[in-house]
Amino acid sequence: MADPQIVAGRRRHVFDSFYSIITLVFILIACVELCDASTVVDVYRLIQYDISGAPFGSRAASINHHAGSSFSPPGSDLSRTVAVLTLRELNETFVREYIEQGKPLGGLLLLLPQVFRSDNSQTVIDDGDYKDMKKKLADLEQKLIHSTIQYPVYFAFEDEDLANVLADIQRNDAAGQPATATTGGYKLIVTSPAPKKLASPTITNIQGWLPGLKADGDSNQLPTIAIVASYDTFGAAPALSVGSDSNGSGVVALLEIARLFSILYSNPNTRGRYNILFGLTSGGPYNYNGTQKWLKSFDQRLRESIDYAICLNSLSSGENGLWLHVSKPPENAYVKQIFEGLSNVAEELGLKVGLKHKKINVSNSRVAWEHEQFSRLRVTAATLSGLSVAPNLLEHTGGISDKREFVNEDAVVRGVKLVAESLARHIYGHEGKNVNIFADNSSLAVNPSYIGSWLDLLSKTPRVAPFLSKDSAFIMALKKELADHVVEVNLQHDVIDGMFTFYDSTVNTLQIYQVASVTFDLLLLLVLGSYLITLFSILVITTRGLDDLISLFRRPPSRKMKST
Amino acid sequence: MTMFHFFNCAILTFGPHAVYYSATPLSEYDTLGTSVKTAVVYLVTALVKLVCLATFLKVSESDVFDPSQELLKALIGFIDVAGLYFALTQLTHRNISQNHKFQAVGLGWAFADSVLHRLAPLWVGARGLEFTWDYILQGLEANANLMLSLSLAALGSLMWLRKNKPKTLIPIIYACAGFVATMPSITSYLRWGLGWHLPEVVGFQLFTSLTMALVSWQLFSACQKPSA
Repeated sequence: MADPQIVAGRRRHVFDSFYSIITLVFILIACVELCDASTVVDVYRLIQYDISGAPFGSRAASINHHAGSSFSPPGSDLSRTVAVLTLRELNETFVREYIEQGKPLGGLLLLLPQVFRSDNSQTVIDDGDYKDMKKKLADLEQKLIHSTIQYPVYFAFEDEDLANVLADIQRNDAAGQPATATTGGYKLIVTSPAPKKLASPTITNIQGWLPGLKADGDSNQLPTIAIVASYDTFGAAPALSVGSDSNGSGVVALLEIARLFSILYSNPNTRGRYNILFGLTSGGPYNYNGTQKWLKSFDQRLRESIDYAICLNSLSSGENGLWLHVSKPPENAYVKQIFEGLSNVAEELGLKVGLKHKKINVSNSRVAWEHEQFSRLRVTAATLSGLSVAPNLLEHTGGISDKREFVNEDAVVRGVKLVAESLARHIYGHEGKNVNIFADNSSLAVNPSYIGSWLDLLSKTPRVAPFLSKDSAFIMALKKELADHVVEVNLQHDVIDGMFTFYDSTVNTLQIYQVASVTFDLLLLLVLGSYLITLFSILVITTRGLDDLISLFRRPPSRKMKST
Repeated sequence: MTMFHFFNCAILTFGPHAVYYSATPLSEYDTLGTSVKTAVVYLVTALVKLVCLATFLKVSESDVFDPSQELLKALIGFIDVAGLYFALTQLTHRNISQNHKFQAVGLGWAFADSVLHRLAPLWVGARGLEFTWDYILQGLEANANLMLSLSLAALGSLMWLRKNKPKTLIPIIYACAGFVATMPSITSYLRWGLGWHLPEVVGFQLFTSLTMALVSWQLFSACQKPSA
């Protein structure tokens, strides 16, 4: 007799555990959040930095708004829209209104042509079209770097999916139906935590020492010649700033000169009576902060033994020749000596070298050329550069537009020949003589493929100093390469001057969703509701008869009659 | 908004089943037990089919329509019919008339099919921000499937449960049953072999299911006349 009860109780237990399992499964399923966007793109954020507390760049990182384009009707409120613009058809008025004048915008997505990708295949771009785009991009970068923008700004590269999405958006805008919550369209989402300050960004200076030949019995310190180049960059998007010319060309030239002189100095018979000091400095865009710290770390004797220093910068940018920038007046004996040495060699190579003098204003903290840091510490120095005019703060610092394809390799090779030859003539005392030490087709010839391959590597590595950790693979590679050529290599780690503060979050993923409007969902609900009601009515009518359908809507009258 | 879309698609996919149950006399005769038992039979049938497919079918790399493989799939599809036979004949039902039996069985069959094949994609996919027409089409497919299951159950009950059928109608009944049973193979041929897009396939399914439902209704009422 008790058996049915026990069975029923057991069945209840089974059902209970069954239900709890089901609820657990539902809870687990509810946590599944898959990314089902139609398009997912890597995007690179505009740099965010402060100079002495004054904010610059884009101050926000996350985006969650509908997409619009520059074709939206003028005067419409875009503060909850992300504007998608292409570099090819950049709308100047739009840029002026929203970037320079600071009208409110939900966000900005700039699409760059594929040619500006750093991992693009090497094709020589001689097309006038791309030169225009390079200039447009450089101008845009300068505008963006020097403005304070309250909304997030991202760069992305054009591809098919994005092109389709943009065409759709532009079509909708032109038809006067911008995307909002009630009209559907595209929604752009970038999830990112609020950007944080980078605590103590480091700069790493790499120095190489090639000692000269000391004559027996000579206790005096040998004179030193320094060759310096800064290797870091600064651009609108830190993840894309590869700076092939500024200052990739300088780094590559320094490495090649180190290689050539290491061959000469390896044999005591050809070792010169000068020490050569090679310096790969960081912190170039920030008033050559790294160079200053590097020089301050020098021993007094070493600093006094430096005869002169040559700083290499942007060797490919010169339209017709290179410029030697000095801070001491041109009548100075040392300056004259350096310049004549260079000019003689330049004549033989068919290059033009001009001399430019720029006085240093000690009270102004702005340092436009690297040699100025040497001059402030009373070391004779000059900068050899393709640029003719001193760049302003954060100008010509190797931004997105400075790509490998725009670098003139021949100009870099000629620059290397120029510096190496004039240096060697000075070291070995052959000034004025018609001697070609680094002749072509000799074992000391300048190696264009060495220059080419290092330029390739530099063009693929973004090198903005605050985002380059002190033990990054790139710095180790530079150190190793320099160590192959020189006798002694040292790394010096330091912190960027407090005037500059940087913020993180440089690369993110953008998800583009195609969303339906609320009205569509409501309409669908209406349609489905009426469908189900019709289905219900049809079924009731066909199976039970029309009377049954009507009776469903009438209260049963019999109960009332019964009670009375 | 996205839960809204999920809700819309869910009522499109599962609503008709509930409506059918409550609108027809099924609810009055309390045939829920039959439907639940049929759903369990469907589950077992699905498992058996999966095992057979895994054992006998070669995995092809591309989406090419392979006739021999499709034939094999169709044969395995007949396990469906066997399952339906089992549900109609072998299960013990309470005293419900034949008329209601096939409806309850068909309803349970279609509901289990919808839940197993469509609930998980719906839950995972329709809740996202991205909008696609897929889930609405899937709901329409569920509707078509409901009608097909009911037709198949009706024809099945005619074939196996009713003993005195007019001689002329027997071949038609078997032909219609065969057609409905091979519907999945036909659909996959259309999609992969001929390359039809999803909306066109769903449209075809709706059309054929409506016609088959009408045809089987006529057949059923025709067979009912002698005994009535």
